[in-house]
Amino acid sequence: MVLPSSLRASFKYITLLATLVQLCMSVWLYLNFKTGAAFAGINHESQFQFVQKLPWINLDLGTMGKMQIDYFVGIDGISITLLVMTSLVLVIAALASWEIKSNLKGFFALFLLLDMALIGVFCSLDFFLFYIFYELMLLPLYFLIGMWGGARREYAAIKFFLYTLFGSVFMLLVMIGLYLSVKDPATGNHTFNMIQMMNPANYTPGSVFSTLSHQTIFGFPARTVGFIVLFVAFAIKVPVVPLHTWLPDAHVEAPTPVSIILAGILLKIGGYGIIRICLGIFPDVASSGAFWLGLLGIISIIYGAFNALAQRDFKRIIAYSSISQMGFVLLGIASQTAEGISGAVFQMVSHGFLASMLFFLVGVVYNRVHDRDIYNFRGLASLMPKYTVFIMIAFFASLGLPGFSAFIAEAFSLAGAFKSGLLPQWMAAVGAIGILFSACYFLWTLQRMFFGTLSLKGGEVWKTAMGDLNAREIITLLPLALITLVLGLMPSLVFDKINDSVLALVNFTQNIVR
Amino acid sequence: MQELIPFIHGNISDVLGSIKFFMPEIYLAVLFILVLITDLIFGKSFWQMAKIVACAGMFFVIVKDLEQVSLLLADAEHGSHLFFSNMLLLTRTGIDFKFVIDVLAFIMLLYFDWDDSLAAHPKGLGDLYSIVIASLTGLHLMIMAANLLSIFLGIEMVSIASYLLVAYRSENSFSTEAGLKYVLFGAAASAIMLYGISLLYVFTGSLSLFGNLLPGLMNTNVLPVSFALVLVLAGIGFKLSFVPMHFWVPDVYEGASTPVTAFLSTLPKIAGFALLINFLTPFLYFGNWGGFDFRLFLSAIGILTMIAGNFAALLQSNVKRMLAYSSIGHTGFALMGIVTFNQQGITALVYYLLVYGIANIGALLLASYFANVTGAEDVNDYKGLGLKYPVASVSFVIILISLTGLPITAGFTGKVFIFSAVYGVYQQSHDIWLLLLMVTGALATVVSLFYYIRIPLNLFIKRNENISNPRNNSYNLLFLSVIIAVLLVLLGIFPGMIVKYL
Repeated sequence: MVLPSSLRASFKYITLLATLVQLCMSVWLYLNFKTGAAFAGINHESQFQFVQKLPWINLDLGTMGKMQIDYFVGIDGISITLLVMTSLVLVIAALASWEIKSNLKGFFALFLLLDMALIGVFCSLDFFLFYIFYELMLLPLYFLIGMWGGARREYAAIKFFLYTLFGSVFMLLVMIGLYLSVKDPATGNHTFNMIQMMNPANYTPGSVFSTLSHQTIFGFPARTVGFIVLFVAFAIKVPVVPLHTWLPDAHVEAPTPVSIILAGILLKIGGYGIIRICLGIFPDVASSGAFWLGLLGIISIIYGAFNALAQRDFKRIIAYSSISQMGFVLLGIASQTAEGISGAVFQMVSHGFLASMLFFLVGVVYNRVHDRDIYNFRGLASLMPKYTVFIMIAFFASLGLPGFSAFIAEAFSLAGAFKSGLLPQWMAAVGAIGILFSACYFLWTLQRMFFGTLSLKGGEVWKTAMGDLNAREIITLLPLALITLVLGLMPSLVFDKINDSVLALVNFTQNIVR
Repeated sequence: MQELIPFIHGNISDVLGSIKFFMPEIYLAVLFILVLITDLIFGKSFWQMAKIVACAGMFFVIVKDLEQVSLLLADAEHGSHLFFSNMLLLTRTGIDFKFVIDVLAFIMLLYFDWDDSLAAHPKGLGDLYSIVIASLTGLHLMIMAANLLSIFLGIEMVSIASYLLVAYRSENSFSTEAGLKYVLFGAAASAIMLYGISLLYVFTGSLSLFGNLLPGLMNTNVLPVSFALVLVLAGIGFKLSFVPMHFWVPDVYEGASTPVTAFLSTLPKIAGFALLINFLTPFLYFGNWGGFDFRLFLSAIGILTMIAGNFAALLQSNVKRMLAYSSIGHTGFALMGIVTFNQQGITALVYYLLVYGIANIGALLLASYFANVTGAEDVNDYKGLGLKYPVASVSFVIILISLTGLPITAGFTGKVFIFSAVYGVYQQSHDIWLLLLMVTGALATVVSLFYYIRIPLNLFIKRNENISNPRNNSYNLLFLSVIIAVLLVLLGIFPGMIVKYL
């Protein structure tokens, strides 16, 4: 921020450098990440890796005991893969920011603030810290969408902000409730430590969220209410139908780099939150409510797909396809089997890459002619052959063609749903039908836009504007395309890292439920 | 006459012994006289002298406030001390409140003459400083009042000073109207309160909250007692501006000049909360008080206030009017801290009010800044100014975020403290009203975001091509607002800096 405007051109390089350094660090973490049952994490503090724990706020509140909030970060198998995905997507987003022309200083400052918050969310193991990072994302995103977005940017930005805030203020209430219910066995203080919250033995008897005392809130069991509130907060992020309506607006109005961050990372925070917090802290409710989670998952899959079929805006199609794909994450989580949860995490990673790729590709067309209406394009394949290749990779990967990452993810999620005793079989079957629909809209778009004879709405002007991909765009897209392919062929790259954690989580939840 | 002689000795020694607990107020009184004299001497040629004297004096008052902490620890065994024949009460919480008020007053004294429209007053602002110092004495009395008479006295002292402040710039007809409205409402509220006080006196024959008042009330019929208590609470409520005693707020805040609005929306309100705590304390500690359910009453009022304040703010487009309604909403939220009726709640409340005070003064400071620089008073006039005045606008965003209560600002930690205090009580009592309060508080946060965000929306997101050049550069306002914004973020990250002293 203190850089003078004369260095305007350098902002994007500084940002790119920062994200690249971050990527290197996360890859280093990935390579040094130890696997094995002894490093599963989840509910054992000592099993987390790269832990940093500093006391942050320690207040003596007299009769209420001490308030204990730690700066407590660390990663386990579930965070590490998402962390690598996040840092790579941020590099892509930084590369996509080349199209931003106005007020660069503000844009990149907000971008880096957002970057910090995103990484923070995936690492923090203290609920208070998690919440702070979670909320800290909102403001930069509001301004990023609002200041650099499309025509209806004000509406989209405020809608996004209000939806998310609505979820998170109630999350705050539950968080405080949990905090007052849980005592750190080591110090005897109330604590925001998520790992302590997972252990039912740490709940003080008679507290609101205690597993034994069966308190009620408005006549409903308190733990169920707590779970639902947290779930709604994260479901808004995922987003789960009926809480999804902010997403198409925000995605469509946001500039390309922000769309990439929204689709690639933001949505994953919802899924990550459900796994880490809803499932980790309220496993009992999660398993009794599995049917409803699964139902919401398949509603998202089908509804998102139908909506995507009905769109004619290229970006809206992809936005709705995101809703549909994130439905698989929820379905996998609902199954609460090792396969399902692995599939869900894998789907998050895979969708992170694919969504970034798709939004980047839309951005390419939009930047050239400032139009995204599918009916205005035809026969692009002859005009932009390289572009078409990448589009085909992205589309086929997204619709779950074997050999690409999404196939593995969806297959595992569905397998989990079939295997799970908590979900009826028809749910998995309906989920599978969802894949069919996604094939419909992707193939229709492909056929409508890229094949046939060349005809553009803008005529010759557009034709000259629509140059094929340049070097920067290819450098951006190539690693994404390669990764989806590599993950499709060697899913063990992800599964190796997450397996122990997922198994630990499944064991843990089943033990609690019993 | 003869029979009173034996008491004289005791009374005199009581008064003399009490003086050492009254030092900050004595300093304030001396300061008032000093400022008055300074203004008489320098008023014509150099009225800023009064400001310098007032600011320097406030520094000593704050030091005296802090000295009282050790005095209280050394002297009293219960952590509180009644003096001046049980008229006043000094507690640890009271000292915290005094400190908060004096610090905010210091900021206010700096701020008054930086507002161009107020500084344009033909006679200078010398009088204004003496009025403010006098009202500060009244605020201190409100904080320490332990007798219905001293409560009334404190409130009146503040009210009269406030009437003068609101009408200070009277060439503007709107300001005059606001001033008159305020006087009429204030007088009516005082009368109602006095009626309530006299009823209580009739029932019990005592005015001392910690004396015979409570036992007397226990032996009286519940209904008239409740009626009298509601009347007294209405009088306090006028200062706090909770629903339904809030109707004066928007007009007065809009009509008064901006620094005066900043003064009214923070200091008397904070002192009002201290007074409410003093007033409620005897009822809570008096063993089996079963008459009037204060928690129910205040919770219901808190919910109503939050809803009314926040939803009304949605409809406003004048910045000061919007902040006026939002301050009503904040009153409702702060009432949450009161209804906990325990020390943790009070600590949370003091912190919340401090942060609210700083942020609200900061917001109005920036409203002054934009009015000085561009003449903008309406939210819609802020269009596109963000890129032209980036420093002020970014500070504005931070301050508003703090008022909304989002991380990582002090407003958020204040909110968390209040919520956790209420939750702690809820966990024990399972009182459904507390839960409703918390849910309303959470909803109010979402609603408040919607109107607060309209200022950043206009500053940054709306475009405006023809921005006129600045009329002047109010660098001092800008500087102070940046300090406030930085302070809010710092307190947001390290709330322990303040809370551990409360």
